[in-house]
Amino acid sequence: MNDTGIPLKEPAVSAVAGDTEQLERAYIDASTRVPVLMFYTSAMFWLVFGTLLAGFVSFKLHEPDLLSGFGFLTWGRLRPAHMNVMVYGWASMAGIGTAIWLMARLCRTVLRYPLLLVAGAAFWNLGVLIGVTEILLGNSTGYQWLEFPPYVAVILFVAYTLVASWAVLMFRYRRGDQIYITQWYLLGAFLWFPWLYAAGQLMLFVVPVQGVLQSAVGWWYANNLLFLWFGAIGLGTAYYMIPKVIGRPVYSYHLATIGFWSYALFSSWTGMQRLVDGPFPAWMITASIAAMILAMIPVATVGLNHHLTMRGYFPLMRYSPTLRFTVFGAMSYTVFSIVGLLISLRSIAAYVHFTQASIAFSHLGLYAFFTMVMFGAMYYIVPRLVGREWRYGSLIKLHFWASAYGIGLMTLMLLAGGLTQGTSMENPSLVFTESTESVLPYLRGRSLAGLLLTASHFIFAYHFGLMLLGLGRTSTVPTFLNPVDAEVEAH
Amino acid sequence: MKGLAPLFIGIFGTFAFSWVGLTVLPNWQIGHLNPESEEEGEDHYPQPQSGMVERGAHVYAANGCIYCHSEQVRADYAAADIERKWGTRRSAPRDYIFERPVFLGTMRMGQDLANIGARAPAEQASPSPAAAAAPGAPPAGATNPAASPQPPSGAPPAASPAAKQSASPAAQAQPGSPSPAASPHAAAAVSSGSPPPAPPSGLASPSPGTMGTAAISSGAQPGTATAPSSGPQIAGAPWPLQTVGEPPMYSAEWHHVHLYSPRSTNLDSIMPAYRFLYQKRRITGERSAEALRLTGRAAPEEGWEVVPSFDAKCLVAYLISRNQTHPLKDVRSIGGAPAAAGAAPAGASPSPAAAAAPAPGK
Repeated sequence: MNDTGIPLKEPAVSAVAGDTEQLERAYIDASTRVPVLMFYTSAMFWLVFGTLLAGFVSFKLHEPDLLSGFGFLTWGRLRPAHMNVMVYGWASMAGIGTAIWLMARLCRTVLRYPLLLVAGAAFWNLGVLIGVTEILLGNSTGYQWLEFPPYVAVILFVAYTLVASWAVLMFRYRRGDQIYITQWYLLGAFLWFPWLYAAGQLMLFVVPVQGVLQSAVGWWYANNLLFLWFGAIGLGTAYYMIPKVIGRPVYSYHLATIGFWSYALFSSWTGMQRLVDGPFPAWMITASIAAMILAMIPVATVGLNHHLTMRGYFPLMRYSPTLRFTVFGAMSYTVFSIVGLLISLRSIAAYVHFTQASIAFSHLGLYAFFTMVMFGAMYYIVPRLVGREWRYGSLIKLHFWASAYGIGLMTLMLLAGGLTQGTSMENPSLVFTESTESVLPYLRGRSLAGLLLTASHFIFAYHFGLMLLGLGRTSTVPTFLNPVDAEVEAH
Repeated sequence: MKGLAPLFIGIFGTFAFSWVGLTVLPNWQIGHLNPESEEEGEDHYPQPQSGMVERGAHVYAANGCIYCHSEQVRADYAAADIERKWGTRRSAPRDYIFERPVFLGTMRMGQDLANIGARAPAEQASPSPAAAAAPGAPPAGATNPAASPQPPSGAPPAASPAAKQSASPAAQAQPGSPSPAASPHAAAAVSSGSPPPAPPSGLASPSPGTMGTAAISSGAQPGTATAPSSGPQIAGAPWPLQTVGEPPMYSAEWHHVHLYSPRSTNLDSIMPAYRFLYQKRRITGERSAEALRLTGRAAPEEGWEVVPSFDAKCLVAYLISRNQTHPLKDVRSIGGAPAAAGAAPAGASPSPAAAAAPAPGK
């Protein structure tokens, strides 16, 4: 016990079964080592690469003459390259890595068939690498979020099939009847993604739908990828990490059930709000706006559930890196949903549609929510894979604050900039360039925020590299953000 | 939760619901639209694009134009797009039935481009890229003189309407046909219906047969160009159609200069330059007719010229083909819209009666 009087160890370890269970867990963790580290290391590589691309994208937007002489460095190619690297390289690989580890732990069985996963990671990397190269060479398909050429999708699909078949096999070997909340979300993500990706590919490239429906399919895909793939993995991870770190069961299973099913039902209907007032039957867009409103039900229940679980334990965020990142991410999920709802309401969309506000929405979802949850998970999982503890608490702290301030500033800049841009755009007595001029100061602010995020990613990558090289601390005590009184048990 | 079955069924069910609702149902509702035509079965809109325009769309995709430019005009009650003269009516699903990929866009760091082609001056003075490429490709209209909706192939509509005019008077013969499209004077009207400022001399190509871009911009609907008072299809254009020493705004040549050096045509532009789509070379013999008329800092040194690559020409052909001014039966046109029916050749007056019909969005 420490001075807060709160246990900092793993929960549910009964005095009797404690030793065996802990041994079993260590055994399971060890079995996940190679595949999970492979996914994580790849994800880290793509994170750093995507961050560099993001720097170009952000600065070139307000300095259009910067490095515009080469085709592969033109803004319109770097932007989709950045987006795809982050979505398919960083976020998906970090998500799959985390999901694998969680699956093994929650199925309470050692990881079988690691080769399936290793091959999956290799194929996935290959797909992303070829896809990004193709985009930079000017072979983008022109569909937002699906810029990779169709043959790259085949490679990604092979990779995905390997991972998914592993997940199904794992499920067969699971021990115990109870399926924990996290597993609902992970199972959902694992089943939704292939359907989503296949539907997107088929309806755009194999048997293409006509005209504007391509955009409808594209945004249906993009939003569902955000909610049902990243969102589901992110929420599932938060449902594991928060109770685990504070050593307390989830507040309510009933709330969790309501949250999960309303999430699956409503958030899957969003997407069309990105095409508000476009050339579509009005019911499609209205349905998505309604779904955004109804998606407040899962937001409220999940948020409430996490909050009530955490109640009284918030001071722990002072010490545990995992908890701090995860809670930040879980709270951002609420902010992300509320912002998403606001900018899709027709009265507000009239001022923010076609502006930087939509970029704010994507970054809230993919970064403030998902990426922060993944950072938290990696701080928890990596020490258990390499058998070392994170070397510097101070670096973790720097990482957190740079990320938190960076994404906070970025969101504010993009939302305020978007509103300014949209207000000028909607005023036809102003020349159009007034609207782009007016957003430039905010874009410079966004670049500043980007520098903070860049710093945070380099710090994390360095720290992660140390862990990989076995240069972490050898200790039974996890690394805390702030010193805790001694004799804290290992968690 | 116990048992996998309910979990599986629920996960599949919820997603199937969304998949059917947001992709399958809309596909059933608006996924099989056909071009619209007027009573005579002529003047089909829209028409499939091909050749340079299609390649231009890929250049547009490759260089990420979609991340800053939208191609959709919102209704007048929803937004200021029409007030900004970005179009005469809202965009409708039918406008896009031949587009692949479709570039609706979700960002406007640059102008909306849905009607950028309609904004080109009716008289295209510059040696247009399309005209330049035309000799290589068979003019589609010439081989099939009946004014059928045959897609112009090879070179974009560039030569075809004009070719129809000269090669097949029979196609337009139907005496008393009210359709302005069939008027033998259509081509002449195109050239005479231009905005007042005269194009710079020396580059003008007076023969209607060789009119490149003008034919493109009005090619899909020759009828609209016959209204002498409404030269460019969007009346009351807020942009200067002619500035001293520069190509007419939104003409093919202007697009080239703009793509090569955006801030030489508009100081406030934040578009990156696409110089990699152009070739700077030493002038051997005579200056190329395609060479960009660049001024100021963008101009090459003495003895050098800048010429567009084939991709640049395709991109401009694509831009010039962007035109949604053609009336659609169930979309209300606003401000300077051409009359929907052929009976009223004076297209300048909006015809609310014909347009008042069904709710937009269908």
